[in-house]
Amino acid sequence: MTLLEIKNLKKVYTARFSNQQTEALSTVNFSVKEGEFVSIMGESGSGKTTLLNIISTLDDATSGDVYLDGNPLSKIKDKEISAFRRNKLGFVFQDFNLLDNFTIKDNILLPLVLSKTPIGEMESRLMPIVRNLGIEAHIDKFPYEVSGGQKQRVAVARALITQPKIILADEPTGALDSKASQNLMETLKGINETGQTILMVTHSTRAASFSNRVLFIRDGAVYHEIYRGEGSADDFMDRITQSLTVLNSRGERDE
Amino acid sequence: MNNRFFSSMALRNIKSNRQLYIPYLLSSTAIITMFFLMVSLLTNKFVQERSASLPMLFMVGVIVIAIFSVIFILYTNSFLIKRRKKEIGLYGILGLEKKHVAKILFFETVITSLLSIAAGLVAGLIFGRLVFMLLNYLLRLPTDIAYSTSLVSVAATFGLFIGIFGITFLYNVSQFTFANPIKLLKGKQEGEKEPKGSLILFILALVFLGWGYWISITIPDPLAALEKFFLAVLFVIIGTYLLFISGSIFILKAMKKNKRIYYRPGAFISISGMLYRMKQNAVGLANICILASMVIIAVSTTATMFIGAEETLENSYPYENNMKVFGDSEDIGAINSRFFELQEQLREETEAAGLEVTEMESYRYQNMYGQLEGQQFIFEQSLIDGSELPVFLQILPLEDFNAMSGNSYSLSDDEALYYHSTGTYQKDELTIGEQNYRLSAIENEFSEEMALTESLVLVVPDISHIKQLKEDYEKQFPDDVYLTVDAEIGWDTTGTEEEKREFAEQMNDEHSWAEDHHYEARLLQREEWYSINGGFLFLGIFLGLLFTIGTVLITYFKQVSEGFDDREKFQIMQKVGLDKDMIQDSTRSQIVWMFLLPIVIATIHVSFAYPIVRKLLLIFGVTNDVTWLLSFIGVVIAFAAIYWMIYRVTSRVYYSIVK
Ligand SMILES: Nc1ncnc2c1ncn2[C@@H]1O[C@H](COP(=O)(O)OP(=O)(O)O)[C@@H](O)[C@H]1O
Ligand SMILES: [Mg+2]
Repeated sequence: MTLLEIKNLKKVYTARFSNQQTEALSTVNFSVKEGEFVSIMGESGSGKTTLLNIISTLDDATSGDVYLDGNPLSKIKDKEISAFRRNKLGFVFQDFNLLDNFTIKDNILLPLVLSKTPIGEMESRLMPIVRNLGIEAHIDKFPYEVSGGQKQRVAVARALITQPKIILADEPTGALDSKASQNLMETLKGINETGQTILMVTHSTRAASFSNRVLFIRDGAVYHEIYRGEGSADDFMDRITQSLTVLNSRGERDE
Repeated sequence: MNNRFFSSMALRNIKSNRQLYIPYLLSSTAIITMFFLMVSLLTNKFVQERSASLPMLFMVGVIVIAIFSVIFILYTNSFLIKRRKKEIGLYGILGLEKKHVAKILFFETVITSLLSIAAGLVAGLIFGRLVFMLLNYLLRLPTDIAYSTSLVSVAATFGLFIGIFGITFLYNVSQFTFANPIKLLKGKQEGEKEPKGSLILFILALVFLGWGYWISITIPDPLAALEKFFLAVLFVIIGTYLLFISGSIFILKAMKKNKRIYYRPGAFISISGMLYRMKQNAVGLANICILASMVIIAVSTTATMFIGAEETLENSYPYENNMKVFGDSEDIGAINSRFFELQEQLREETEAAGLEVTEMESYRYQNMYGQLEGQQFIFEQSLIDGSELPVFLQILPLEDFNAMSGNSYSLSDDEALYYHSTGTYQKDELTIGEQNYRLSAIENEFSEEMALTESLVLVVPDISHIKQLKEDYEKQFPDDVYLTVDAEIGWDTTGTEEEKREFAEQMNDEHSWAEDHHYEARLLQREEWYSINGGFLFLGIFLGLLFTIGTVLITYFKQVSEGFDDREKFQIMQKVGLDKDMIQDSTRSQIVWMFLLPIVIATIHVSFAYPIVRKLLLIFGVTNDVTWLLSFIGVVIAFAAIYWMIYRVTSRVYYSIVK
């Protein structure tokens, strides 16, 4: 079943003080099925963050639309947009975006508190998630008291706690060392295996190899995709690397 | 690397941290202006000459503001430097030696302190002059109050603030020399730690506050009040800071523990935010509270003085023109012809001046003192005869009473009308001297002053009864033959203020101390009072204005700096689904803290200050408690309203920064 569908998405940025326009996305089309784990890869400046921000409703498209469960995001009223983001989407950012004034526990509970969830409900959701992510021992600490890898797990926990339709992750391993990255990706894969849909942006081949499908984006359009199929992670990684090399060189020839 | 390099580096740092430095420079300038104006007031002619106690009281004001300045600038500086920790930590990592970092900080301090001191002095000179001009124009006191300052004031301001900025420099250097760079890089993220021994701090707070309050409550006389005032103020200020620091943290932590309170959107955001910078939050609130107390004290005492004076004027001079006619103790009847003669004459004189009499009241009366015992009024010779305070008795003839009150009572020869100020005399009859009267009660048609001591007014059938009572009195006290029947004539006229003044001056020349009568105009009396005491009104308004502006700036600084501090947090929260309504919700749940708490505690402070301030007011001849209470309540409400507006506007600024 298709969960997320992106149709003819276009985004043009107009510079604030001049008429210069940047086309960040030209025409993007793809869809994500329920339970899938999709990676989006592309060079820096290719429009990955822009795409994710539009799907996250943090930014508006110039034209085209994003459909979640068949409903266009552009139809959501301004007033409902925050609640929509809280209830339907989970976010993991490159730079964690944890709040220094909250303990780990309160950081994780934040979206639920904002939704005015009863305390009992909040606490019963919290424990399984933190246990699963292995951050149980740290929940009373503050963000500056834990490591980068642990911070990102906290962010994952915060994304999961609202039981979202889809988790959107923008370079979640970008600020982590390789061991912590490996760890986090295994966690995300585990979460995906319980049925959680994940859409992740990354430029790390290793990170991408944990997903079921990789989309390649360039000059604001998806121009290739590969499926993992039955092969091993290492296999998949090789294929991703190959695709990248081939596609890059073809790109150079085109120019 | 030479000093030029460091100083240009310092300048660049300040420029690139504009967002932090502009509020910092503005609020430092405001505090310096405030201090400079206060010191300058010490040189003011009115303060120096009106009373020996005034320079002392203003000195207290200067010291209080000096203490306040130290705390305020250290507080704003710590706010600023905390947000720059990361940046300065980077210098260390980039290979700048500690002494070089110290040099940069030194130049930064030099630049900011010179800038704000210069701006403060200039602002003080301009603001002082302008406000003095404005107040002189608005108040139109008989004599203008001149703005003055001196080189000593400038030097004192300069010295104090160079000292304070010197301390901030040492503090900042110590922050960076003793911390390792990694910790510095994290500096901004780490929340403030609860101060050690906060329970002890709380107890100390209560001790200081209690001590300060105690001094005020137990103050025996004005002289002691003058002596101890400073100490009491000092204790209360220390107590306030300690109370806010320990108390607010204690309450916030308790609220955080209560899940039902804490885990709601507004409270969740605001409580965690306040705990994150608990000390800064507490000091900021204490600052507002102390300034609020200063405003309330300055304005309410001034208001008391002036409302009190107006009341006294109204009571002593119920009419625009007041004439007292003295009777002759040897010829009681003489007053009768003189009384009517003068009324006629005054009417004529008024008309001759081109004015018309709009209202005239006149009555003859005799005053006596004594005690009420059973159904008897027992004469006493003078005011301080017995141990008990005597009852004041005023006797009027019916004719005059009817004329002045517009009634038409009639009395038979053994009847009298009476009014008793305490209302406790309920008998049907009264024996006075050798006369016996059947009584009927009447309303108070007389001066409000009647209420000050227990008084009895007796309206007798005619003037011959008064004569009779005088004879009875003289039988009892043969030596005291000075009792007279006097008369009051009061009248209002038509005409403009100018015409009235001219008339009053003319009357004053002719009648002020004539042989058997004495003239006083309310207008001239008021002017005289204001020429002696107008400076108080002036200074009261000036200080009220100064402290209110201080409150505005400090509240503004708190909201703006916290806004920039919180901005990033709100952006993150918006990403995970915080909506705009909830941001407002969280700013709203700070109302109790930002608005109510400082006002309530300031009100408590000022209430406890009441006894000592009352004693101080005695020095300047203010005795009216009721007026004090009313103007106190009025000022508290008015200031709460003004502060409410300040709060609303500044929290809107906060909201627009974080959203
Ligand atoms: N707010 C913006 N205003 C103008 N141009 C932008 C803005 N955000 C991104 N861009 C431009 O759009 C393009 C895509 O950016 P981005 O989505 O951030 O790429 P990626 O995340 O793949 O590195 C880039 O050329 C970038 O400069
Ligand atoms: Mg990006």
